[in-house]
Amino acid sequence: MNENETELRVQALVDGELTGTEAEALRTRIEGDDALRELHARLTAVRGLMHGAELPRPLPEPGDFHWSQISNAIQYEERQAKRLARPASGMGSLLRWVTPLAGLGCILLLLTSPSRHNGPPDLGILLGSDHELELSADEIDVMTFNTGDDNMSIVWLDYAIDLRPDTLQLWLD
Amino acid sequence: MPEEPAYSSAEDPQLVEWAKAGDMSAFEELVSRHRDRIYVRAYSVMRNEDLAVDLSQNAWVKAWQRLDQFHGEASFPTWLSRIVTNLCLDELRRQKRARMDSIEAMEETTGPVENRLEMETVDPVEGLDRQELRERIDAALAKLSDKHRTVIVLYEFEQLEYREIAGKMGTSIGTVMSRLFYARKRLASLLNETLKRDGLIE
Repeated sequence: MNENETELRVQALVDGELTGTEAEALRTRIEGDDALRELHARLTAVRGLMHGAELPRPLPEPGDFHWSQISNAIQYEERQAKRLARPASGMGSLLRWVTPLAGLGCILLLLTSPSRHNGPPDLGILLGSDHELELSADEIDVMTFNTGDDNMSIVWLDYAIDLRPDTLQLWLD
Repeated sequence: MPEEPAYSSAEDPQLVEWAKAGDMSAFEELVSRHRDRIYVRAYSVMRNEDLAVDLSQNAWVKAWQRLDQFHGEASFPTWLSRIVTNLCLDELRRQKRARMDSIEAMEETTGPVENRLEMETVDPVEGLDRQELRERIDAALAKLSDKHRTVIVLYEFEQLEYREIAGKMGTSIGTVMSRLFYARKRLASLLNETLKRDGLIE
């Protein structure tokens, strides 16, 4: 056992963390060793000093204000918990189920689409090799990239209004 | 009309039972009784007034939410003190993540110096006013690193065992013992210095 380990064991003895034969053996060793006896005495003194030494401090804000902060936080947390626990009603409940199902349907459609295996999709437009299609409407953001060489079409579509075909213009580059 | 319970004269366990039943006034009485103690514990760990206030408020909110988990094994303030201590440790961990390098650097620079320090003789100082001594101990605690101060607070004030401290700090018992030892050495040295300087000990 090195010196540091011995010091830590003396501390453990002072702290009451050593018991039984282990504690007894260390006590015997301390009695016959001046340095360990001194260390034991000093650690005991520090422990004695620390007993009840936490400095009392008044809360630095008025008690009423402190309580109001606590009660506001409790009420806020309870409102949040209720809101999260509340069952979805009407349209919300319907959307909760329909949205993932619709997403799943789109993925399945994409995966099973013949165009994936049989060349470019039939858009009613004769496509050569690489083309970029752009739909123009102020409220719609659409970008389509089609490459016949790779049998791949990529479409980005972002809209927030009802689409009306007569408002769309199609450019073929 | 039912009579309002006598909150101010009720014992803590009774107030806790009322609070468990949803009585916020009973809980308010508990806050009023123990708020200073909880604040002090948070301050002892964090050494920052604003953080200590925030964390002690959070502790009360958590206590309200977890009242059902309190079964009276320890006293109510002891239970609450554990909650605020845990919140402080979480906050220290959060701060550590935010400034990982600086804490490690501090450990590196203070460790070897502390290792060289001899344990100073500190007697319980006969005749020294207890309040004055507490203030000096408090000032010395403020000079310890976060890790050393935390282990002292958990052991001396929170009265946890080595094993419990290791669990809370996410470290080994050996590390707890080592930190406690060097924290005490440093504390003894700081106290000795200040008490000698002020002529309060020879």
